[in-house]
Amino acid sequence: MNTPSQAFTEFQVSLAQLGQNTATDDWSDDQRMERARHTFMSRLDRRAAVDMDTCIHCGMCAEACHFYVATQEERFTPAYKIDPLRRFYRREVSPMRLFNRLFTRKLDADDLREWSELVFEACTGCGRCDMMCPMGINISDNINIMREGLAAAGLVPGELRELQDEQREKNTLFGVGADELRSVASKLAEQGTQLPLDKVSADVLLLTTAVEIRLFPEAIAACAKIMQKSGADWTISTEAFEASNLGLISGDKASRRSAISRIADKAKSCGASTVVVPESGHAYQALRWESANELGEALPFEVLAISEYVARALKDGKLSLKPASDLGSVTYHDPCRLSRQGGVFAEPREVLQVMGLDVRETDSNRRENLCCGGGCGEYAISRSARIRQQAFDLKRHELDDTQADAVVTGCNNCRINLMIGAEKSGWDMPVISLVETVAGNLAE
Amino acid sequence: MRKDQNLGEYLRAQGVSRRGFLKFCSATASLMALPPSAVAQVAEALASARRPSVIWLSFQECTGCTESLTRSHAPTVESLIFDAISLDYHHTLQAAAGEGAENARMAAMEENDGEYLLVVDGSIPTGNPGFSTIAGISNLDMLKETARGAAAVIAVGTCAAFGGIPQAFPNPTGAVSVSDIITDKPIINVSGCPPIPVVITGVLAHFLTFGTIPDLDPLGRPTAFFGQTIHDRCYRRPFYERGEFAHTFDDEGARKGWCLYELGCKGPTSYNACATLKWNEGTSFPIGSGHGCLGCSEPGFWDHGSFYKPISAGLWGPRETLLGAAAAGAALGIGSAMAARARKNKALKEAEADSS
Amino acid sequence: MTLLDFARGPALQWSLIILVAGIVWRVLGAILLSTRKDLSTPRRKSGLKDGMGTIASRSLPASAFEKRIRFQHITGYAWHLALFVTVLFFGPHILFFESILGFGWPNLPNGVVLFAGAIALAILIALLIRRATNPVQKLISNADDYISVIIVMLPLLTGIIAFAHIGARYETLLAIHLLSIEAMFIWFPFGKLMHTAMTFPSRFQAGTSFGRRGIKA
Repeated sequence: MNTPSQAFTEFQVSLAQLGQNTATDDWSDDQRMERARHTFMSRLDRRAAVDMDTCIHCGMCAEACHFYVATQEERFTPAYKIDPLRRFYRREVSPMRLFNRLFTRKLDADDLREWSELVFEACTGCGRCDMMCPMGINISDNINIMREGLAAAGLVPGELRELQDEQREKNTLFGVGADELRSVASKLAEQGTQLPLDKVSADVLLLTTAVEIRLFPEAIAACAKIMQKSGADWTISTEAFEASNLGLISGDKASRRSAISRIADKAKSCGASTVVVPESGHAYQALRWESANELGEALPFEVLAISEYVARALKDGKLSLKPASDLGSVTYHDPCRLSRQGGVFAEPREVLQVMGLDVRETDSNRRENLCCGGGCGEYAISRSARIRQQAFDLKRHELDDTQADAVVTGCNNCRINLMIGAEKSGWDMPVISLVETVAGNLAE
Repeated sequence: MRKDQNLGEYLRAQGVSRRGFLKFCSATASLMALPPSAVAQVAEALASARRPSVIWLSFQECTGCTESLTRSHAPTVESLIFDAISLDYHHTLQAAAGEGAENARMAAMEENDGEYLLVVDGSIPTGNPGFSTIAGISNLDMLKETARGAAAVIAVGTCAAFGGIPQAFPNPTGAVSVSDIITDKPIINVSGCPPIPVVITGVLAHFLTFGTIPDLDPLGRPTAFFGQTIHDRCYRRPFYERGEFAHTFDDEGARKGWCLYELGCKGPTSYNACATLKWNEGTSFPIGSGHGCLGCSEPGFWDHGSFYKPISAGLWGPRETLLGAAAAGAALGIGSAMAARARKNKALKEAEADSS
Repeated sequence: MTLLDFARGPALQWSLIILVAGIVWRVLGAILLSTRKDLSTPRRKSGLKDGMGTIASRSLPASAFEKRIRFQHITGYAWHLALFVTVLFFGPHILFFESILGFGWPNLPNGVVLFAGAIALAILIALLIRRATNPVQKLISNADDYISVIIVMLPLLTGIIAFAHIGARYETLLAIHLLSIEAMFIWFPFGKLMHTAMTFPSRFQAGTSFGRRGIKA
């Protein structure tokens, strides 16, 4: 099942080519610092201030970080990854700032360059450290601030920068745009699944991702079947189908906002009451939790992950499932941004249980779940390949220990990273999608 | 006692047996932390000692020190020793008055120039010289004049040794201790309010025996008597070690004789021999009767807060100062947060401009 | 004025003024910063219960983590417990608090307190060594981390010495002990000892912000 498909091989080739023609900014170090300073200053609010003031440098967060645990490299300690922000806070924002300047080294552009590696290449933003911190510090939130500052200073890794710019400027990702969606739609139509593209009005706006279009068209078909079966009035927009939000990953404010507003505008114009996010953890985070804040207003639609949609349809009796015949036991891999940071824990497990599956938990699970190792766009960064693979090994051992027949996940990103890891290490546990499993077991 | 009699002859004439005398000598030797072999030396020296001339000056004092030394309820060897010195001048005890008294002082100073002992009780006012005078002479002048020819000065009582009660805040007379005035003579401070009588006689015995002054602590007190704290030698010490304290003067702990630390006992910081020598012929001492030590042998004991305030408690101004501190902190905090808010709002605009 | 009078009087008063003013200054200076209202629709209403829940729950690590941080977990508990026993239940200390707060409470036997003090000191030394040698802690430590540990160690050390009357006169030892505490009071608002106060708002905000997303933090 994990034998790489033609599409997957091609996808990896295009990953390898990323970052080769990335735009760069010819800013001086002072300009970079100034831009980072504006962002840090504007983002250090009460929440961050309390976090910065509470850290006791105990170092326990290291033990929550898959990159540290896998490599034992102390630079990967989460508290260290946000150290520049803390230094900035201590010198510029803290109530004791004048005193702190005596003891705290000033931040410079070299620091920013050094930390660009740490917060982009050695952090998936999984937030496991948030759950470990005895002080309750939200480290991943501060990592986001770090990323935003680095993005403002033009210090995002080339791969992410290229994808982010592509999405903002061309509204495509990996070259996938409206045309590619249409061609997938016609292929699926041949196979008997209709995608109602660009309906003028619809109750449900379903999103998909470039990755699904290139790699997992079955997942799109599965979502479509579920929509159909549950009797929804739904559509997919060729202008605003892309759920992924590279700006959320890279920290680039403009990209993040444009991707969100494209979807919000479409949802509003077609009168959708619900936006359904496909299997993508960070997309869920962007739309479910960040969109209203990004646009500065409460939004007139509900955002659901596809697993939430399924669970609700099952509860409402709009959908029913038959026992899965080809699987016995599965383990569910919680995508970080969907579960630990998004709150979707129960629904995927309920859905799997409805299909009569024996759901086994890994040693760390739910809010303590181990990241796949390449989450949130990390798999696109070629320089992190070594540590990603080491982190994958940790995950793989936990998955193997469950002795489940397959690992089910609800995020394309996790799925891709697990597939890459499996391919490199010859691991053979099937990695399957929740939505495809559901679509395969819809009761008549 | 005739002046040509030595001490041994005098004591024998007073009916003190050789045995009683040796007992005193050995007690004195042990008090002064001398080895047992020194007893014979002490006895011989004391027995053959010529009566030294002693001039006793009383300044700003309450006569408590003199009372302590003279009001023994029965004559003792100590009191006899005391009788045995030639106390040539002492306001309270001398019969002479007026001119005669002053003449006696002058005569003693002349006859024994460079050899007499000067004993002082009471502190010396440095404010208006009229605060305390004797025969029209201010205390300060009299002390300077009398000290000039003295072999040594013994400051008896806390007032003479450290300034004592007259020096307590706000010290209206500008009272000072003997050692604040006299800097060119050996001074032995025998502090206490009052000092233990046997300590005085012990110091005298030492001087008579060896012709020198005993080992002194940093405050000029004989280490033989002031080397350890009351607390170190207190019979209630085991209760302190166990953390068993009387909380009030009439609670269970007080009845059981537990440590008086919580009731303000100054034993841990007071250096004196009360706990071993005791008072009233070794009958008891303040802690023995259920009251904490006042620390009367220490400088400034009157100004270390209430006698009933434990020594670990703070000695400081009104609690309201902390409310003031909190208010000042709040002002700083609010100011700092407001300034940071303004900077943040500015940065927000700058960041927007950067990203567009 | 003797050293002890200075330690019990003006030094105590001013160090307490700095302590109180500094704590209020730093806490208000942080929590009065502006904050963004979260406009997203909460999964469920969150509030006091989530905040207090996280204040309680972060006192124990999740089992998935515990095995990896057992040393710090156990020493952390032992240290704080030993410190509380030493600071709060030694007879003379209670009298000290009574002189500031106006009320007291029963003390523990001195043997127990002394043992706790020795344990606390030993743990602190162990943690200091760990900080200087463990690669992670070494990397993330700054001057504050060392100053704060040492400035807390000193009162423990001087306290034990004062209790045992070693090396100098008791009043000197007591004065040094008090001065070491006062040094700690003065440092307190400037360094990470402030976690004593900041842990609670920090945990609380973790509880509420995760709570509204339906996550028990």
